[in-house]
Amino acid sequence: MPAIEDTKISSWADEVDETSEDLPPPSEVIDNGLKIVTVYRRNEDGKKEKLICTYKTEKRVVSKTVAFRKTWKKYGASANDKPGPNPATTIAAEETFMQFITSKEDHDKPDDDLLEKLRGMADKTVKCRTCNGDHWTLKCPFKDTGYMPTKVNVPPALDDKKNLMPMDDKNKPSKYIPPYMRDGAKGRGDAMGHRGQRDDSCAIRLSNLSESTQEVDLEELVRPFGDYSKLFLAKDKNTGACKGFAYIHFKHKLSAANAIAFLDGHGYDHLILAAEWSKPQVQQH
Amino acid sequence: MRPLMLHGHERPITQIKYNREGDLLFSSAKDHVPNVWYSLNGERLGSLHGHQGAVWCLDVNWESTHLMTGAADNSLKIWDISTGQVIGSITTVSTVRTCVFSFSADLAAFSTDTQRKQTCHINVIDCRITDSFGSEPILSLPVPDSKVTALQWGPIDEKIVTGHENGRLCQWEVRMGKLLTEVEGHQGNINDMQMSRDGLMFVTASSDHTAKLFDFESLLHLKTYTTERPVNSAAISPILDHVVLGGGQDAAIVTTTSSRVGKFDSRFFHLIFEEEFARVKGHFGPINSLAFHPDGKSYATGGEDGYVRLQSFDQSYFEFNFDY
Repeated sequence: MPAIEDTKISSWADEVDETSEDLPPPSEVIDNGLKIVTVYRRNEDGKKEKLICTYKTEKRVVSKTVAFRKTWKKYGASANDKPGPNPATTIAAEETFMQFITSKEDHDKPDDDLLEKLRGMADKTVKCRTCNGDHWTLKCPFKDTGYMPTKVNVPPALDDKKNLMPMDDKNKPSKYIPPYMRDGAKGRGDAMGHRGQRDDSCAIRLSNLSESTQEVDLEELVRPFGDYSKLFLAKDKNTGACKGFAYIHFKHKLSAANAIAFLDGHGYDHLILAAEWSKPQVQQH
Repeated sequence: MRPLMLHGHERPITQIKYNREGDLLFSSAKDHVPNVWYSLNGERLGSLHGHQGAVWCLDVNWESTHLMTGAADNSLKIWDISTGQVIGSITTVSTVRTCVFSFSADLAAFSTDTQRKQTCHINVIDCRITDSFGSEPILSLPVPDSKVTALQWGPIDEKIVTGHENGRLCQWEVRMGKLLTEVEGHQGNINDMQMSRDGLMFVTASSDHTAKLFDFESLLHLKTYTTERPVNSAAISPILDHVVLGGGQDAAIVTTTSSRVGKFDSRFFHLIFEEEFARVKGHFGPINSLAFHPDGKSYATGGEDGYVRLQSFDQSYFEFNFDY
C-alpha cells in the first residue's frame, strides 16, 4: 500500500531510542563565517554527550569555470548527498607531519633490513649443545645417537684467550664479532650507529608540560624561535597522553638559546615550563 | 597538515588525477566505479557507473568537460563530467591499460594489454567523432615485444612516449605512426610517467626501485631517484624543484612482513640533487598513484588500501631550504 510508505514507520529499535531519550534537539547556528552545529547524543555508557562541530565557511575568489563547476548537481552514488562533504565518504584524518631528513647518513642506512640482519646474526651464534655445531640442539644430526663430542680440539688452557680474540685456532674468524669490532665500526660505543652521529648541541628539553599537550601545541609553542629539525613529545604508549616532557632539535644554536630564555619559567596551560639544554644520553654498558 | 581521507572506493586505487585548475580530483580503482571529487574540501561530486571491470586508467581533458577511463571490461569510456553520463564508448580486444588525452583533447591515445593471446596495441582515436557506438582508431600500432604500461603525449599532439613492461621507453611520431627513439630506461616495469608542468621533462616510476627524470624530446636520462622499494608513482612539483615518489612493498608480500618495514610513505626528493629530504606517512598499503595539485600547495595519494588522501602542505614545507 502506498499510504504506508508515506507515513514512514521507523524500525522498533529506533523507536525505543527516540522515546527513551530526553535529549535537546540539534541546533545549527550560522555566525559570521562559522557554522556551528550542536548535536546531543548518548555515548556507549548511556551518558549524554554534546557534540559541537564548527565549520568554517570560506569565500574564495576563483575563475568562472571553477565557480560554475561548483554549481553542478551531484550524481551517481552522491546524488542524494547534501551540499558540503558527506562524512561517509570524506573523513578528516589525524594530523600528520612532514618528517624532514636533514642528516645525510640517516637515509643511507639500510634500516629496513634490521630484522633480516638480526635473524642472520642469530644463526651465526647458534651452538648445538650436543656436537657444538652451528645448528640448534634439536636439529642436531647426532641427536639420540649417544654421540659425545671429544673436546680435544679446544684445549682448556687456551680457551679464555680464544674467546677474547675474534679468531680461532684454525686462523679463521669465529662466528661472532662484537659490533664495535666489525668493519666500518668506529670503535666501542658506536653500536647503534645513528645515535652517536645525531647532533644534540642544538637540542633543548622542555619539561612540566601538561598532560593534554599535543604535537600541534608544541609546534605552535616553538615555531616562533626558528626552524627545527625534530620534535619529540614523550607520550604514553597506551593512552597517548603527554608524559610531561619533550625534546626539540633546533637547526641553529641561537634559536635554541632564545627558546630556552623565553620558555624557562613560561606559564603554559596552568603550568610553569622548564627549559634546558638537552643533556647527552648516558651510555649504558 | 591534516589530510582528508576520501573513502569512495572499496578496492585498491589505480590512478588519481587533478584537472587543469585543480578544483576537481578524479580517482579510479579496481572496483568498477570511478569517482569525481572537489579537491578543496573533499566533497564527492559523483561516481561514474558503467564499467564492468577494474578501471585501470583515467584522464581528464584540458577544459574539464570530458573524462576518459579505460577498464578491464575491454572498454574505453568517455564521460561528461558535469552529469556523469557516458558520451562515448569503445570496445577493445583486451584490457585498456593506459589512456591519455592529447593537449587539445581532439585526439586520445590508449594502450591495450597482452592478455588472451592478444598483442599490445597503441591506439589513437579522434575524440570528436567518438560516440556511444565507438569509432575506429585512426592509428593502431602493434607492440609485440613488451606491453605498454605507461603513456604520455608530447606538447603539441605530435609525439607519444610509452613506458614498457621491460623498462624501455619509446617515442612515437603520431602522424606517421613511426618509432623515433628507443632507450633502455629502467630495469623493471615502468609503472607511471608524469610530465613536468612545462612539458619538457617527465618522471618515470619503476619497479626497479628507482624513479628517473628524462628529457621529453631526446629521451635523455637526466636524474635518478633511488629508494629501497618498488616505486609505483612519481610526480614533479609544479612550483618547486621537488619530486614526490610513492610506492612500497609489493602488495602481494605485504601480509608476510611487519607493517613497520612496509615503507608506505610518500617520499620527497630534490629534483636536481637527487636527495631525499622529507617523508609523509599515511597509507596502510603501497601508494599506487599520486598527483600534485596544479598550484603545488597540496598533493593527493591513492593507495592499495582504497583510500585517497589529500594532503596540503604546512608552512614548514615552503620554508624548507635544501642545504647544499
